[in-house]
Amino acid sequence: MARLACDIGGTFTDLAFFDEAKGELVVEKSLSTPRDLTKGILDAIDLAELATKRVSHFVHGGTTVINAITERKGAKTALVTTKGFRDVLEIARGNRPDLYNLRFEKPTPFVPRALRFEVRERCGPNGETVEPLVLADLDPVIAQCKADGVEAIAVQFLHSYAAPAHEAAATAYLRERLPGIPVTASHEITREWREYERANTAVLNAYVQPIVLRYFATLETALRGRGIQGPLAVMQSNGGTTSFAWAKEHPITLVESGPAAGVNAAALIARLTGEPNVIYLDIGGTTAKCSVIEHGQIKVTTDYKLECSRINPGYPVKVPVVDIVEIGTGGGSIAWFDRSGALKVGPVSAGAEPGPACYGRGGTEPTVTDAKFLTGALDPEFFAGGRIKLDREASRRAMKKVSDGLSCSIEEAAVAVIRVADADMINTLKLVSIQRGHDPRDFMLVVGGGGGPMHGAALGRELGVRETIVPRYPGYFSAWGMLVTEPRRDFVQTALTRASDMKLERVRNLFADLVREAEHYFRSDEGLKTDGFRFDHAIDLRYLGQEHSVTVPVNIESASVATILDDFHAAHEHAFTFRLADTPVEFVNFRLTATAKIATPALKPINAEGRSVAKALKSKRVVDLGDDGRVEAKVYDRDLLPPGTVLDGPCIIEEASSTTIVHPDQQMRVDELGFLRVAERH
Amino acid sequence: MARMAAQAARADDPVTREIIRGKLLATVDEMGIVLARASMSPVIYEVLDFACGILDAKGELIVQTNGITLFTGTFGEQLASIRRRFGDTIRDGDVFMTNDPYEGGTHTCDIALIKPIFIGGTLEAFAISVAHWVEVGGSVAGSISPDAREIYQEGIRFPGVRVCRDDKLQQDIVELIRINVRLPTMALGDLNAELAAVRIADTRLKEIYAKYGAVVVHETYHHILESSEKLSRAAVRALPDGVYRAEDWIDGDGITDEQIKVCVEVRIKGDEISFDFTGSSAQRPGPINCAYGALLSAAKTIFKAMVDPQAPSNEGWFRPVKIICPPGTVFTARPPAPTGWYYEGSAQASELVWKALAPLAPERFSAGSYMSLCGTYIGGRNPATGEMFVHIEPAVGGWGAADNRDGTAALIATTDGDTYNYSVELMEAKYPLRVRQYALNIAGGVGAGRYRGGHGAIREFEILGDEAFTYCGMGRSIEKPWGLAGGREGSNNYLDLHTNGTHRTLSRVPYVALKKGDRVAVVTGGGGGYGAPRTRPAEDVAADVKNGYLTPEGALEDYAVAVSSDGRLDQAVTDALRARGA
Repeated sequence: MARLACDIGGTFTDLAFFDEAKGELVVEKSLSTPRDLTKGILDAIDLAELATKRVSHFVHGGTTVINAITERKGAKTALVTTKGFRDVLEIARGNRPDLYNLRFEKPTPFVPRALRFEVRERCGPNGETVEPLVLADLDPVIAQCKADGVEAIAVQFLHSYAAPAHEAAATAYLRERLPGIPVTASHEITREWREYERANTAVLNAYVQPIVLRYFATLETALRGRGIQGPLAVMQSNGGTTSFAWAKEHPITLVESGPAAGVNAAALIARLTGEPNVIYLDIGGTTAKCSVIEHGQIKVTTDYKLECSRINPGYPVKVPVVDIVEIGTGGGSIAWFDRSGALKVGPVSAGAEPGPACYGRGGTEPTVTDAKFLTGALDPEFFAGGRIKLDREASRRAMKKVSDGLSCSIEEAAVAVIRVADADMINTLKLVSIQRGHDPRDFMLVVGGGGGPMHGAALGRELGVRETIVPRYPGYFSAWGMLVTEPRRDFVQTALTRASDMKLERVRNLFADLVREAEHYFRSDEGLKTDGFRFDHAIDLRYLGQEHSVTVPVNIESASVATILDDFHAAHEHAFTFRLADTPVEFVNFRLTATAKIATPALKPINAEGRSVAKALKSKRVVDLGDDGRVEAKVYDRDLLPPGTVLDGPCIIEEASSTTIVHPDQQMRVDELGFLRVAERH
Repeated sequence: MARMAAQAARADDPVTREIIRGKLLATVDEMGIVLARASMSPVIYEVLDFACGILDAKGELIVQTNGITLFTGTFGEQLASIRRRFGDTIRDGDVFMTNDPYEGGTHTCDIALIKPIFIGGTLEAFAISVAHWVEVGGSVAGSISPDAREIYQEGIRFPGVRVCRDDKLQQDIVELIRINVRLPTMALGDLNAELAAVRIADTRLKEIYAKYGAVVVHETYHHILESSEKLSRAAVRALPDGVYRAEDWIDGDGITDEQIKVCVEVRIKGDEISFDFTGSSAQRPGPINCAYGALLSAAKTIFKAMVDPQAPSNEGWFRPVKIICPPGTVFTARPPAPTGWYYEGSAQASELVWKALAPLAPERFSAGSYMSLCGTYIGGRNPATGEMFVHIEPAVGGWGAADNRDGTAALIATTDGDTYNYSVELMEAKYPLRVRQYALNIAGGVGAGRYRGGHGAIREFEILGDEAFTYCGMGRSIEKPWGLAGGREGSNNYLDLHTNGTHRTLSRVPYVALKKGDRVAVVTGGGGGYGAPRTRPAEDVAADVKNGYLTPEGALEDYAVAVSSDGRLDQAVTDALRARGA
């Protein structure tokens, strides 16, 4: 039997296929087909000539959800909410991060005011009913939704995280009377407090649902048409998979599906290499994404915001999402000059179409990939496994814009673009780790994505990390990550309680409820074959008077209220440098991560047979490494380097999906699993 | 070694300068992160009431990060004051502390730390961090007394003291703080957080100097200032030469409702611009006064908004600017005037400059906004726990229309920034309050125009405990947000009070006792409009009616558009009305 994973990105659709009988991994790439994403998957399957009938387990990751939101192509959505609060979606949090902009514009709500309806009902913070739900108030809402051609509805009532009954009743009423229109109840997506965030989450779920329903229907038909048997799973943003069926009801949980798989894979590498603390950097076409892995575990939070930036408050989505920071520098990022004449790179990107100038598909702007190419880092004949022939003349024409601006040669301009791009990434990576209370010098850097290995060694040196690791198949990292991902769901329940009033029994009961919910959830997934479950418990706590909380892992077998509090004080001190021993503590959220254990393909050591450094040596070429000057570097074929190989920089290691550059004074070793590990030579 | 040689060769390389500039910006960001992480005060880590910066050896601001706009122009003045006081006794390992409004500061709660940075024995730069401490003593807890009459009632004042010597905290000063404030643990925690911030700047600057050398770093400082100055002068030159005036009224000083006249005269000649506040009223007995540093911030904030809102701030942008105001006015108060609520006075100074410049550069500005943070305190005893509580919250309100779109609704005022409102669900779990509505203030209305103002908000609280109180201080309660280019005025801010069966509308409330069942609504105004209302497309007016932003009557009256209550436009009647000009 075999497992198949497909990751649809902006430029490429990546595929990873693992044949369990042969123990063999096959990877393949096709160009993404934005108009009908299914086609890209089928193209990749055809290119790889896969025996799809052997596939017993399929995992999918992609950008359908985030694209529908980014391009504003979702459904016409209505919101039903508590009387007095329909404007909450528009008021939002009222913040203005773009401080000096006196024409600041808030993100526009996804539901216009005319489609935000109020009904009489009210619950209080302890779950008490203050005012009963008046179901009759929904009748005019139903009529209006029909008249206006509404395609999806979100329902969100105040305090429904604690008292979901009103919301559930109203939702049932609407579903019964509006068949064919999907209705999202906020408590079905999240049980966390904060009314604006929960409303926005429910609204976005409703907004993408009709699109996702259509997409999965098409995909399912296509896959079954190729004879793929067994369960169809999809990668969620929390670093776990779920069934198509569940994802159709909770599509917003797929918002960062692709990147989450990469982070998950990086965590696996952390565990495989025995290096538990890792900064993961994935450099793709449009952006780079980074995540910090501590103790071999990914960090999942519910603080995700779509379209958030230094000047944009974005849209909060309270579903579990791997803690990822996006950097506006990718391979396609365009170099330009600001008004003062300073050279900048990104965030505008040449994207997949037309892509960097060197792709020869009509791009005329100088990009990071062009710069890498012109410095000699890339082999024009061997890019993306030879799938794209790089066009030197087009690339030089584009880079001339930079060389004119700097009054220098085209080669010098290319080096300048890389220096600026690398500096931006360094600054962000440093701040990301510092913000999370870490020093990069205690970490390893794991790089993925087509562009990661090209920049990795230079970034690793500047960050001062101990080692930079280039995993196998870096250009297929997310797809590979999906193959090794287990089904997972994160549950959260807000239950604000003073520590002095908290009893261990209540803690246990709250978690027992969540465990029951988790078991029910996995049982309802009929195709799931599992070797049992793993439950990880955690609690958010805070000092009285604080608004933010700190998440503390809890061993439910041995914990007492006192040990939980001790752990909280310590965790607070780690995150914020101080503890307040005399201040009362509040329990805020109870979090359960439920994972179904399934057999995933193991990464086997690479075989030395048929490999040698001599065979791997392909050629030499001159590459300009900026601060390290112009050097002649030997070029090796990664697939022919035996384990245990040690090479001194400068050298270049090529493989079909990526190119690794080792700088002077660095040393690269191939470990037994076939990972490239680059460190400073001392 | 090869690497160092390669870099030395790039002494005048613009790319190296850009990379160093990036590192300097990352350094002030890191200062901010360190400060917010280590601070114990929600005002700092949640309201972001802080700023960090690096100034060169001459005292010019090179890079700054701000959580709010109120600290845009204070650093230079504060450093100048420290240098006047300490002169050539400034040593490596010193850190200075000041919170004196009369030495370049804002109000006593904002404590600045300044660390001179020596590299190889040479004074190269200054790092500065400023943050709002929750408590610095004085007549009321929180140190911002609504009816203070002297600065002595606003807590302990540090004129500029050497709080560290040889990089060690001076224990005498620590003890002085401890005994003078109500929440010493928090205050000293914030002192340490600010200290950590200026120290990290010291570490990072030393790394930068070691890697690139002093010559290249100086060149970068020079370039940062000069390139910003160049852009700034070009922006001023693009404005028509002339003298432009604006005047406004502050609706009371916190103690009385007597209106206070303020005015500005903007003079533009070539690439120089001056803001002259001469003629503004004399300083007041109440705490709404600003000292000179706060006035600089207020004017520079608006100037920065005009020349380049997103570019990082530095002194270069402000080189073409001169700010003039005789001492003793409400904007240039002299001791011992109280300045606790200076942010309301400062908002007025900002809006004056904004009002004067808006017609000259409509592409950078919007019409007048609700302006005031409308800070409202609701407190009392929690019947469930028996504990005292105080809920303090700035209110969001309506902003003015721009020359290409409607104003933004329910947004925090100019003086704040990335400041969040409080979640209703969190608030109700915490305090004996029930929010009856959190809605746009439709009834109050907005300034009509080709583009209309944004709506204010209504936050209505019901009191659930028997022992409660409220007080507040709101600006723009008499004067309305101004319209632009023929747009109409917006609406006022007020507090709607239902207590004991009576109903009152107020805006400056020293203290009102409340009981269970009483209701307090914070109501903020809508922003001013842009352009003549009759030129607003009828479809946009109809869409506003459909969305419930406007009544059919309002559509007829303000816009001469006939539209039914469900938003259907009557084109024929509208055409006739508009043709008649009625």
